[in-house]
Amino acid sequence: MPRPTSLFLLACICTSALYAQDLSDIHVHGFVTQGFIFSSNNNYLTMHTSAGSLQWTDGAVSIADSLSDNLRVGIQLHMYQLGQLGGPNVDVDWASGDYKINDYLGFRAGKVKTVIGLFNDSQDVDAVFLWTLLPQGSYPIDNEGFFLAHLGGEMYGYLPLGNRGGRLRYDGYVGESSLPTDGGYVKQLADTGFVFTTAPSGKTYGGDVRWETPLRGLMVGSSADVQALDGSSPEATLHISPFILGAQYAQFTRGKFYFAGEYDRAPASGILTVGPAVIPLPLDGRAWYGMGSYRLSKKLQLGSYYSHYVNKALDTRLPANYSKDWVASGRYDFNSYFYGKLEGHFLRGTGLGDYTSTNPNGLKPNSNMLVAKIGFNF
Amino acid sequence: MSKANWLIILLAFVGCCSAANAQDVVLVANKGVPISTIREADLRALFRGTKTRFPDGSHAVPVTLKGGPAHEVFLRNHLDESPADFQAQWRKAVFTGQGVMPKAFDSEAALIEYVAATPGAVGYVSRISPQDNVKPLAALK
Repeated sequence: MPRPTSLFLLACICTSALYAQDLSDIHVHGFVTQGFIFSSNNNYLTMHTSAGSLQWTDGAVSIADSLSDNLRVGIQLHMYQLGQLGGPNVDVDWASGDYKINDYLGFRAGKVKTVIGLFNDSQDVDAVFLWTLLPQGSYPIDNEGFFLAHLGGEMYGYLPLGNRGGRLRYDGYVGESSLPTDGGYVKQLADTGFVFTTAPSGKTYGGDVRWETPLRGLMVGSSADVQALDGSSPEATLHISPFILGAQYAQFTRGKFYFAGEYDRAPASGILTVGPAVIPLPLDGRAWYGMGSYRLSKKLQLGSYYSHYVNKALDTRLPANYSKDWVASGRYDFNSYFYGKLEGHFLRGTGLGDYTSTNPNGLKPNSNMLVAKIGFNF
Repeated sequence: MSKANWLIILLAFVGCCSAANAQDVVLVANKGVPISTIREADLRALFRGTKTRFPDGSHAVPVTLKGGPAHEVFLRNHLDESPADFQAQWRKAVFTGQGVMPKAFDSEAALIEYVAATPGAVGYVSRISPQDNVKPLAALK
């Protein structure tokens, strides 16, 4: 085939792929994002951010089909590269069958996104947020793969509470989840000499209840997730007894305004066994955030949040055991498909996102960051 | 107060109501849809994907316009949302495996044609004519 013709056909294929397909009720959607981080001091998220880094790419394609009014099946393939985390492998983000008996009761089975707090199930969908980085105390991007989804089943539904009572949405699930071997926790273990080539995993179950109150725009909710974890490497074994991750949250939307807040607590008791030696991994992570935003125009949205994290199981006066982040964000939607984001972070503490392997000369307690992202979705 | 004054006040009231209605959209449904009125809360839930059935249990098929003044007016008046917020909510549903986006149309004529032909379909347009084979729905506060 002549080269110009090949290029023309390739351009046609790419152009047609830019639009959501709806062929015989098959829905195809996708997104691609490219991020950039520059930090004033430490290297963040395993990238060399102190020199400016573009090692942050994310993409997904989802396919879904409604087989009947009650039954829907779908799958989403996802890849990401975040510094030394992720990689070129394509993972199944979720793949499920969804049978909805009525509005009060439905079931999903397969690999299902886990509903915890306001954003856990959508934290890897950049296109839906003003924020480039979500509050890291609650939704650490380097470890999002752990709580993001589980293999198992979920029941869900909406319960009306009368004309003046609002509505209740509930989710309950049970299954198994694992620590991705290309994620942050395993990377931190590898930095200390314990390389896990198979993913530590464990049983999980939990639920979420959120009340859409009679006050229009106000929603409050609570989640609880029970998680256990076991894994082994040639050098060590890892055991985390079942612990409860709890989240309480509220969200208020009115016109161009949006406000939200959340409190999370994850007290976990981990043990790393190396031969005869038993190394405790104490964790009592407590995080909260408050955020607000205003839509200035159809295309421009501005906002700010404060995210606070401490590990209460350790000395909270040490920067390594806390992270406090003031953030200012802006998002501009060029059109329905293409957007750009710019965000400033004023970070105190090194308790989240800082790795020894990319900071061999040690960490400074404070750092400011400029974060930018462009994204495309259809 | 004289009858003339009462008449002026009444006419002004009617005029205000007409002006307010003129800025709203017309909710339309397939003629087989078993309701002629819908609560605003139920309308919001239908178009947010959190409710999928009419009160008699039959399946609802919400459809939207891709953009334009009628789309913006519908979202502002009935969902209290901007087009960007509406799209973000559906993106979240799609990319978390919790739903599929409503079918969206470039033109009101195409939307009316689809609603007329699809059982359970419900949508909105700026106006309808007697020739349109759809039924209007009234939204109740």
